Amino acid sequence: MAGDLTLRIDLDSSVPAYRQIVDGLRILLVNGKLAPESELPSVRRMARDLGVHFNTVAEAYRMLAEEGWLHLRHGRAASVVCRDVPNPTLDQMGEFGQRLQALIAEMLAKGIPAAKLQVEMRRAAEELES
Amino acid sequence: MKAEVAMLIVPLAFVAVIFQFTPLLTRRGIFFSATVDPDFPRSADGRRVLRSYRWHAALWAILAIGLAAALLPHALPLAVLVPLLLIIVGSALSYWLKFREVHTHYGQRRPEIRQAELSVPPAGARFNAWLWIPPFVALALTATYLQLHWNQLPERFPVHWGADGQPNRWSSRDPLTVFAPVAMGAGMNLVMLALAWLFTHLSRNTIMRRIAVRLLEVLLYPLTFTFVVVAFLPIGLVVPVWLIPAIMLTCVAGLIYWSYRQIAAPAIADAVPEPQSDSYWKAGMFYYNPNDPAIFVAKRVGIGYTVNFANKMCWLVLAGILMLALLPAALGILAAKK
Repeated sequence: MAGDLTLRIDLDSSVPAYRQIVDGLRILLVNGKLAPESELPSVRRMARDLGVHFNTVAEAYRMLAEEGWLHLRHGRAASVVCRDVPNPTLDQMGEFGQRLQALIAEMLAKGIPAAKLQVEMRRAAEELES
Repeated sequence: MKAEVAMLIVPLAFVAVIFQFTPLLTRRGIFFSATVDPDFPRSADGRRVLRSYRWHAALWAILAIGLAAALLPHALPLAVLVPLLLIIVGSALSYWLKFREVHTHYGQRRPEIRQAELSVPPAGARFNAWLWIPPFVALALTATYLQLHWNQLPERFPVHWGADGQPNRWSSRDPLTVFAPVAMGAGMNLVMLALAWLFTHLSRNTIMRRIAVRLLEVLLYPLTFTFVVVAFLPIGLVVPVWLIPAIMLTCVAGLIYWSYRQIAAPAIADAVPEPQSDSYWKAGMFYYNPNDPAIFVAKRVGIGYTVNFANKMCWLVLAGILMLALLPAALGILAAKK
């Protein structure tokens, strides 16, 4: 049971809907609000509630399953699995570094001071880890 | 003749009044089905648009009543149906024109934020099956009573009363005519049950769903009461003849008022996370969004749901509901011909 959690997406955003679903669910999985053995809504229900195509939700669930967060079974609800924290490879570390650098550059370009950025990043990391 | 004219004008006037208030039966931030600033309906322009629509709708009503009076000496079904159609089509046309005006000149765009509840099953989605049992039990008990007292039923009994309170149509005792009201009541209840079930399982989990299902649950009881009273006609009127329309009118008026209070509440504008763009609403009344897998979508006018006409499944659902609704109607026509 996932309690009264909700997932919000913005269809006007430049980020694709499936990506927003993956990101939104991953936050809840990392911070433990979606606990192991919780069941997620069916692909049909989630697609209907979000007003997106079934394949969009199915793709998001598949990506999270590939990351080891979800267990997908045909005709059954997707469930959260207990996942060991993996050791990131060098390639993965490099990719995340690049993405982080791009995000930081974008934020600095928008005038957010580096100090504020550090505080925000620390706060976000602590929130997710708690 | 005067009584006939009055009997004709009352339903036409009732429909006309509903059309006068239709634009007000909407959520905050929606006006003539177009997305607007929540304060726009109270602005000078908003009041002008509403006033203009009301004049047009009143004109259609006057035309329809005039037409009804002109047709009355001839065919009676035509004198009812054609003016009724004129009010509905004419007022809908006026509504569409106002939708275009409001959307073009005063329309706003809201972000397409969508929300999904992650609980399984979703909160508030439970179907209150026990609320639907008593009406079916009441109809079954009525049928059982009539069957047990079959020999005491008169060979001929009144089934229709004129405006003067005197019976003007009679029917004879046979299973079809005696049990038709019970069967029609069961059919109507089944239609409403099907709608409540479909809304519960196939619509987005919003406050609108809870309101629409509650509306059906409440309407179920006066409707069943009406069919039970009609079923008892062979043994005589168990309640005064005016009580049935009085109860129905009170319930409908009360439910319209309650619906208005519910959907006009400021909180509901944000609590109905349905697709926001006006472009999905054809003529302001018909929802058409091929990217939305939902079959049922919260209406922009009034309370309840409309279907997504871009979803092929909606035709199947509409056909099913129509069949369920037509079966008791066909039964009623058959019984009336007996």
